[in-house]
Amino acid sequence: MVSKEEQNSLSSFQFEARLTQASLIKKILEAIKDLVTDANFDCSPEGLSLQAMDSSHVSLVSMVLHAQGFEMFRCQRAVSLGINLASLTKILKCAGNDDSITLRADEKGDKAEFVFESQSQDRLSEFELKLMDIDSEHLGIPDTKYSAIVEMPSSEYRRICSDLGVMGDTVRISVSKESVKFQVDGDIGKGSVCLHPSSVVDKPTEVVKISLEEPVDMIFSIRYLNYFAKAAPLSDTVTLSLSKDFPLQIEFKFGEQMGYLRYYLAPKID
Amino acid sequence: MGIKGLTKLLGDYAPSCVQQQELKNYFGRKIAIDASMNIYQFLSAVRAGADNLRNEAGEVTSHLSGLFYRTTRLMELGIMPCYVFDGKPPELKSGELSKRIEARRQAEASAALAKEEGDVEAYEKFNRRVNKVSPEVIEQSKRLLRLMGIPILEAPEEAEAQCASLCKENLVYATASEDMDSLTFGSSKVIRQLWVGATSTAEKKGIHPLEFSLEKALLELNFSYEQFIDLCILCGCDYLDSIRGIGPYKAFNLIRKHGNLEGALEEIKEKHDVPDHFPYDKARELFLKPKVHSPSSVVLEWSPPDEQGIIQMLVHESNFNEDNIRKALKRLAHSKHASSQGRLENFFSIKPKEQQDPSTDKKRKAPVFSPKRNKRR
Repeated sequence: MVSKEEQNSLSSFQFEARLTQASLIKKILEAIKDLVTDANFDCSPEGLSLQAMDSSHVSLVSMVLHAQGFEMFRCQRAVSLGINLASLTKILKCAGNDDSITLRADEKGDKAEFVFESQSQDRLSEFELKLMDIDSEHLGIPDTKYSAIVEMPSSEYRRICSDLGVMGDTVRISVSKESVKFQVDGDIGKGSVCLHPSSVVDKPTEVVKISLEEPVDMIFSIRYLNYFAKAAPLSDTVTLSLSKDFPLQIEFKFGEQMGYLRYYLAPKID
Repeated sequence: MGIKGLTKLLGDYAPSCVQQQELKNYFGRKIAIDASMNIYQFLSAVRAGADNLRNEAGEVTSHLSGLFYRTTRLMELGIMPCYVFDGKPPELKSGELSKRIEARRQAEASAALAKEEGDVEAYEKFNRRVNKVSPEVIEQSKRLLRLMGIPILEAPEEAEAQCASLCKENLVYATASEDMDSLTFGSSKVIRQLWVGATSTAEKKGIHPLEFSLEKALLELNFSYEQFIDLCILCGCDYLDSIRGIGPYKAFNLIRKHGNLEGALEEIKEKHDVPDHFPYDKARELFLKPKVHSPSSVVLEWSPPDEQGIIQMLVHESNFNEDNIRKALKRLAHSKHASSQGRLENFFSIKPKEQQDPSTDKKRKAPVFSPKRNKRR
């Protein structure tokens, strides 16, 4: 057992964390890089988090990775790492999906280090990324009791968005006790997809569940819903939470205890 | 025009007050556009090289073309423009105006001379300066805008001042003008290059709107609004002759040192010639309390376009291509959908920034005006 002081002296890094699978970070990045160009990764003793809006301030990404989800997580003082996501993507391309990934940042906060280690531990690659000073606004998201919560397979969500996206720009989402309906009305015609809650629960990942306080009927931009669909590989299921005249929340959970990726999208007003 | 060197000064001393924006991000925003200047641009820069577009009777119509297509483009993106026209110029401006008239007269003379000598290049160069926004041009523009269902407003005096008052009362999100005195008049937000950006080619060329925030500028300069006005007057505005030898940087240091224009002038007098006629208090008064319509009396309403009327005016009277106009009208009709998208700020509140420990803030701020924002160290 090493004492706390000794532990601190072992490394000069303010922040150090290791994940066993680089694929998680890679997928997270794929899911947000089209929406946001630069973002602050906030490291605190609780974990790693990110909040960013797209440039038009219509949608928001909120990502949380809990400290206990990491193989190793050390953070003495909260630091914010301003990262250009396109640059980070380039670096993460160099990591294999099964590599372990270690992220470090030192006191100065002007660069972040990435270490990728192959499973057999015979290959070690190290990269350094210059950080940026990002002036971003942090939004306070109120705790909300949503009127309608729909859980469905991520693949189904992705399919609906891409199918309806060819028909028009906006989709009307209506949730009732019996079903959730996605409708689009475009120049060439119109279409709709209706899902009913599953009666038989064979595979928990293919279930459609609706919990309803009151029916909702709202309009959203399909373009953004399609951006969010990029997160489908992160989770088998997705949860859509809606309330009248309130932003839609779409959540992808990374498994128990690990964390989540949430998107918020401002509605269209008729 | 405007405030001399203010843009550069802000870029250096208050970099966070300038932000490059995407035109499309202004969807749903109401924006007051300083009309006279933009129309002037059409008559000069837009048609540089070629003659202005003319109808059969030989009257210039390029302002109509520009106004129509750019307004359509803005509307299509869901932006709600309102045009503000200049009224009677304030008395103080007569000096500046007579200079402009003199410049135009000279240009006319030079153009005529160049034409006589057959020097095409010189002719074009001078001829471009001759264009003047005539009352007819303004009337036609207003007629077109009315047909398009766009609100227009005639300022009692300066259009920028009227825009600023709309902006202060939150009737519009920002003032769109190239003239930096919009900021001096107190517009909370001024957008430059909105108008030039409203073309299909502008975005490809990387011309993006620049958004200036008065609040951030004052915060970073550590000036009160009154001090900012003093700074602008000292830099050189449209209403007073500028003082030789005093540029924006000297002006900034002087106001910072003395806190106001009076003190600064005392120091300047020792080394520089202050014009005999320098009624700075009047200029200050003009910026602080310009003649404007009270915002409460202003109603901004966007109505559906009168398609028949537009066809009549542009196709039958001005010889525009009917197909093109009809295509644009279709886009205009679609524009209603674009402005319905909500913004997250309307639902979630922005958290106040935590005070940063200056010692840890070692990362340098990016220069705002470099075309590629190279923010990395």
